[in-house]
Amino acid sequence: MASSMVLGIAVLIYLMITFYLGWLGYKQTKSTDDFMVAGRKVNPFILALSYGAAFISTSAIIGFGGYAGAYGMGILWLVFMNIFVGIFIAFVVFGSRTRRMGLNLKAVTFPELLGKRFQSRFIQGFSGLLIAVFMPLYASSVLIGGARFMETALSIDYNTAVLLLTIITAAYVITGGLIAVMYTDAMQGTLMFIGMAILMVFTYAKLGGVTSAHLALTNLASLVPEAMAQQGHTGWTSMPAFGSPIWWTLVSTIILGVGVGVLAQPQLAVRFMTVKNTTSLKRAVLSGGPFIFMMVGVAYVVGALSNVYFFREKGMLSFDVAGGNIDKIMPEYINSAMPDLFVVFFMLTLLAAAMSTLSSQFHNMGTAIGHDLYREYLMRGKIGHTVNITKLGIAVTILLSVVLAYVLPAGIIARATAIFFGLCAAAFLPMYIGALFWKRMTREGAIASLVVGTFSSLAWLTFVHAKEATALGISQAIFGQPTLLTGTWTLVDPILVATPLSMIVGIVISFITKPISKDHIEKCFGK
Amino acid sequence: MLGIDDPQIWVVYILCVVSAIGCMIYGALNWNKGNEEEDVK
Repeated sequence: MASSMVLGIAVLIYLMITFYLGWLGYKQTKSTDDFMVAGRKVNPFILALSYGAAFISTSAIIGFGGYAGAYGMGILWLVFMNIFVGIFIAFVVFGSRTRRMGLNLKAVTFPELLGKRFQSRFIQGFSGLLIAVFMPLYASSVLIGGARFMETALSIDYNTAVLLLTIITAAYVITGGLIAVMYTDAMQGTLMFIGMAILMVFTYAKLGGVTSAHLALTNLASLVPEAMAQQGHTGWTSMPAFGSPIWWTLVSTIILGVGVGVLAQPQLAVRFMTVKNTTSLKRAVLSGGPFIFMMVGVAYVVGALSNVYFFREKGMLSFDVAGGNIDKIMPEYINSAMPDLFVVFFMLTLLAAAMSTLSSQFHNMGTAIGHDLYREYLMRGKIGHTVNITKLGIAVTILLSVVLAYVLPAGIIARATAIFFGLCAAAFLPMYIGALFWKRMTREGAIASLVVGTFSSLAWLTFVHAKEATALGISQAIFGQPTLLTGTWTLVDPILVATPLSMIVGIVISFITKPISKDHIEKCFGK
Repeated sequence: MLGIDDPQIWVVYILCVVSAIGCMIYGALNWNKGNEEEDVK
């Protein structure tokens, strides 16, 4: 009982700090630029923590940590991708050009950057629409994760938890804009960093040090259940068998889908436009790399090592301790292996992880509706009350996320993060790369790439990729079979099909259409 | 290596650590470089 009181007090203090930072954001928000891109003068340390905290949600720690508990350390390749592609390449290669072009074109959102670069309101409006329609799916999965945690940790009703989480986060996003989002993100990121650091040290210490912990895990390989071994599971310290179902999911959906998809995440890309110079982006790499390592690296290593702990304590594998629900592996492990006080602290870490991702999603959905769709596309750029409409957009999309959290079947919600990442990669990545690095890409090429990427990705996940197609049930309803193709194809993630397709279409169409005027290219890229 | 037999895993384990440290070194080395970059007015 004592720990629930400590937890109550800790949550209260945490919320007070959150409100204080939200209020600071509100005080500093005076212009549209402040609300949309935090006035373009954010400190590199804040940028790195905010980027990382928004990137890493509860599902990365609990969901993928649990995945490591069930399938082993192969998922560490995602950690490497997250650090190398998600931080280094993103900040140094994409970030500096995004920032400069955003400034040259006076863009305040990711769709606006693309729209202005290709002189197309359609690109901006369509991208905004895509975000407004599909990001609530991603947000609702984070919302459910956060609310489920509050339900168990604070023993409050689930519905109350959803409402509380939504209202608290919405309050500071709507009033304080991106400044409030990034300040609170940075505080939440710091909490997450400390929580994960303690988790790592405790776990290795408990299992007798790094090498002996790994060795014990390696020796468990003979215990892999027969059913999992047939799917390609070879143990927790080895890759799944090449070409097996587990291998395909790991490599195509998780390592490539999430690892590469992160580059085209609108709520992350917009952050590059919040700093004042390229040096800030380079400085942000210093804290960004270790931050991601401490988040996902620790979560996945600990997730896998939980098998050693449970085997020693209970003679069972993590998967069985969690009753076959991989989302319960991390909570089960932390509850039984860690000291009570740390359990309290870790609860706070998870609440912070959920809120920091939610806030950036809310902000991004709002700007997509208010700025990209309403102002630039429908009103043809008329100034009007953009910030107010954005705030209304935030409220509407939040409502949509909450409704989705109730209406959609659990199977779809669990896939939501992967669906959104895959869709972003196919729809935005080829056009975004073209915008930054290929001056010859034309407006028509960019539009074709956007449309082909979007619809081929949606079609693939509706009719071919088994995980989404069976959960959606649309293919079953229309064609009377769960997926249109069979065999290995049903394991290949949409990102591996739709992104290359979108890229090829973008290149071919660009070569047969008229290049963008030299003046405009000079304006985009500067002298 | 590190109690892990499969090179595909111990290599990536080390890569994760090295890339995180690499990010820190890169950030530190570039801390004061490129100040001539144009700032926001």
